[in-house]
Amino acid sequence: MADITFITANKNYSLWTLPVWLCLKVADLDFDEVTIPFSDPDARVRFDDLSPTGSVPALKHGDVTIWDSAAICEYIAELAPEAGLWPDDRSARAMARSVVADITSFSGAHWSAVEFVSVGAFMPTNVRQRTEPLDVPANIQKIFDRSTKIWRDCRTTYGVNGPFLFGRFSIADAMSAPLVNRFVTYNVPLDPIAAAYRDALRAHPDILEYVALAEAESWRHEPSERPFA
Amino acid sequence: MADLTLITANKNYCLWPLPAWLCLKVAGLNFDEIVIPFSDPDACARFERHTPTGSVPALKHGDLTLWDSIAICEYVAELAPEADLWPDDRSVRAVARAIAADIHSFSGGHRAERPSIDVGTVMPTNIRQRTNAITVPDDIQTVFDRNTKFWRECRLKYASDGPYLFGRFSIADAMSAPFVNRFVTYNVPLGDIEADYRDTMRAHPYIKEYIALAEEEPWFHPYSDRPFI
Repeated sequence: MADITFITANKNYSLWTLPVWLCLKVADLDFDEVTIPFSDPDARVRFDDLSPTGSVPALKHGDVTIWDSAAICEYIAELAPEAGLWPDDRSARAMARSVVADITSFSGAHWSAVEFVSVGAFMPTNVRQRTEPLDVPANIQKIFDRSTKIWRDCRTTYGVNGPFLFGRFSIADAMSAPLVNRFVTYNVPLDPIAAAYRDALRAHPDILEYVALAEAESWRHEPSERPFA
Repeated sequence: MADLTLITANKNYCLWPLPAWLCLKVAGLNFDEIVIPFSDPDACARFERHTPTGSVPALKHGDLTLWDSIAICEYVAELAPEADLWPDDRSVRAVARAIAADIHSFSGGHRAERPSIDVGTVMPTNIRQRTNAITVPDDIQTVFDRNTKFWRECRLKYASDGPYLFGRFSIADAMSAPFVNRFVTYNVPLGDIEADYRDTMRAHPYIKEYIALAEEEPWFHPYSDRPFI
């Protein structure tokens, strides 16, 4: 049994499982996984049981249980400093943290600003699905444009020494990965820099492994499988 | 002119200038401020001119412009390690980061699916106002309960050597401060531990200074100042 236990929902349908899982893999830490599929009728109760706020993902390490993707990724970076999960340069690291915080504010399902359709409702996470390009509502397109602008800025300013946002793989990439998968599922057209970045991330060996594991999952969540015209 | 410039909206009506401002103060760093009031008809254009994504608060340091409260607070902690803005113990620091991230995700109003339950709409930030206790919609009460539960748990478990969430003042307190102010404005009833924490925070010299600055601001925002019953 590993020291670290990762508590999460199933990979195919959960937006936020991937960043933490990726950081654990890239940091080469041994961990057990407790997967609670959304389709489990007791999922809510089981989340509440295992995580202080009922939020997943959560990471248990000895007596402490940490939650929230960004906070867990920070913790992994501290557990495994040799993995270089943040850029070395202080300014680049600060920018990487801005990117991560922006993703947690804007790119999840949170930003459903009132009269709008939320991204998570319109394009539920479904790693193995492929649709034709959809007619994306303006408020969702705005969020996508925000993300791809950030990707372009990072690739151009900080990404010269490697294929990722800050060159070397960092937490900013881990947090971007769910969005990359969403772009693939829903066949979202991207500019050349964003498309090259999407392809670089999708070719990352740990992301390939995650996608394969998601595809092999047996659970089916009907609301995320709705037919797309 | 200071090296650092904090770009924010006005203090009385804006939820988020306070955490970054507090951390800069507690860290003893010199900074200039550019305040763009919400009532400025060009506010959005000016935010966009000053910051990469049009989000405030933002922090400019030389060529670097960071945004997002959490990322700015992390950067201030790195600029001024002697200010000890995070707890020393690694596990405790991870919990503090989880709480800061949780506040960032849940308490800002992003989670709302309907305007009637958006905290920022129902109880807009308005530091100088005082209302009678108002009927809090259930969904908002859930967010408040989530906050106050953390406050209680932290005060009981991690705070043996000081009056703040983790004893010494930390970024978790800085991120909690806007909600302390909201509880005061709207006269929200709190349990004993949370009420003590609220009072301790309101007595913090820099929070007092911030409130005094907010109270003096000349701008008036009719929506936030509408009468409450």
